Amino acid sequence: MRVELTEVTWLEEHVLSFAELAELSGLPRAVLEELIQAGAIAPVEHPSADQSVDRDAADEGAHRDRELEAHYGAAALAAARHARRLREDFELDASALLLVLGLCDRVSELEARLTQLQARLPRRAR
Amino acid sequence: MQYKDYYAILGLARGANDEEIKRAYRKLARKYHPDVSKEPGAEEKFKEVAEAYQTLKDPDKRTAYDQLGAHRSGEEFRPPPDWQQQWKGSFGEAPFAAEQMDLADLFAHLGAGVRSGARRAMPGQDFEISVPITVEEAYGGTEINLDLNMPEYDEHGQLRRVPHAFKARIPKGATDGQRLRIPGKGGRGLNGGRNGDLYLDIALRAHPLYRAAGHDLYIDLPLAPWEAVLGTAVEVPTPAGRVRLKIPAGTQAGQHLRLPRRGLPKPKGGQGDLYAIVQIVVPSVAGEPERALYQQLAAASAFDPRAHLAQEAGHAG
Repeated sequence: MRVELTEVTWLEEHVLSFAELAELSGLPRAVLEELIQAGAIAPVEHPSADQSVDRDAADEGAHRDRELEAHYGAAALAAARHARRLREDFELDASALLLVLGLCDRVSELEARLTQLQARLPRRAR
Repeated sequence: MQYKDYYAILGLARGANDEEIKRAYRKLARKYHPDVSKEPGAEEKFKEVAEAYQTLKDPDKRTAYDQLGAHRSGEEFRPPPDWQQQWKGSFGEAPFAAEQMDLADLFAHLGAGVRSGARRAMPGQDFEISVPITVEEAYGGTEINLDLNMPEYDEHGQLRRVPHAFKARIPKGATDGQRLRIPGKGGRGLNGGRNGDLYLDIALRAHPLYRAAGHDLYIDLPLAPWEAVLGTAVEVPTPAGRVRLKIPAGTQAGQHLRLPRRGLPKPKGGQGDLYAIVQIVVPSVAGEPERALYQQLAAASAFDPRAHLAQEAGHAG
């Protein structure tokens, strides 16, 4: 059996385009767009000020273009793959998917906080 | 290949209707989905459940599955020749080599032929695996050996399980929950489709001394009462070796003594900190000379550790 040595890529250092993000995550583009618009998946360089700009119909196209040009990092890919699994495995529609993703985010934040607090506790006290 | 009883996996009788299949799947998915379940072995269990559901929810696949007949779970069997003949068209141009396949591969590819035309480019499957590493490995980087069995088409267009073994170098600075991607090392793509990727999820193993939070490490530092009062210097282990730490006089229990840049390295440079958490411990049995000294200390000291409690009580009254 051949054994090869492989260098791994830090996801953190890798920047993806919208198209790559869609391909690597396996999410349909329309669903991915919806998740990005709802803020569940965020690009790396996307001034948050843009999000709050009042969007009328004329602005919609320009906003969409910005979205498609934006770059996405490791967190976005992990979130998109997570979303794809949940969507397929639970047959979720967009609003249910957003709800579940939001709750999962909160759970991971709480878990990270718990790990941090537990690390600070002396071992005997636990 | 080994037979799997998809009905039993979903807890159903063979005659179950579509609604029952869906209901059983939903119930089990909620229980075992790796994103929501904390049960041990949930991921393996969910894979089985999802595999069973993928086959039974599709009318064609279910018919094909039912025609395999009922066998015992885990029993070695081969699809009979007339079955292969009947469903051959559904596999597109990919005949199967039953010995190297499992039931999941078989049904995953059934239907690909009819619906999409045989020559459609299919991306390879992505794989995601958890890689447990020690604090020392996270500190210095490490190499891990991966042995994976992936379904792949060979040069004759036959689907087989192919063992892949390779080493991956985990760079230093990997911490709990971080993900690494190995592009192109997942399942092989078909008809020009891209190869799948392999994702490694780093999980830090529990360490007897250090507790990690991000790139910071925490360690308990027990001190004798006189060391805490008078101050001292102690040796503290760090992943890079032992260092000497000055304990200032009047150090309190629970205090965090920070050792800058003695934690885990960060991938983009820099390093986390190590915190020594002070514990003041007393001998469970004190010898006679020690007791005499403590009694002397008790008589001489004006220190009142509960002054604030007395104050509170005064306010309340």
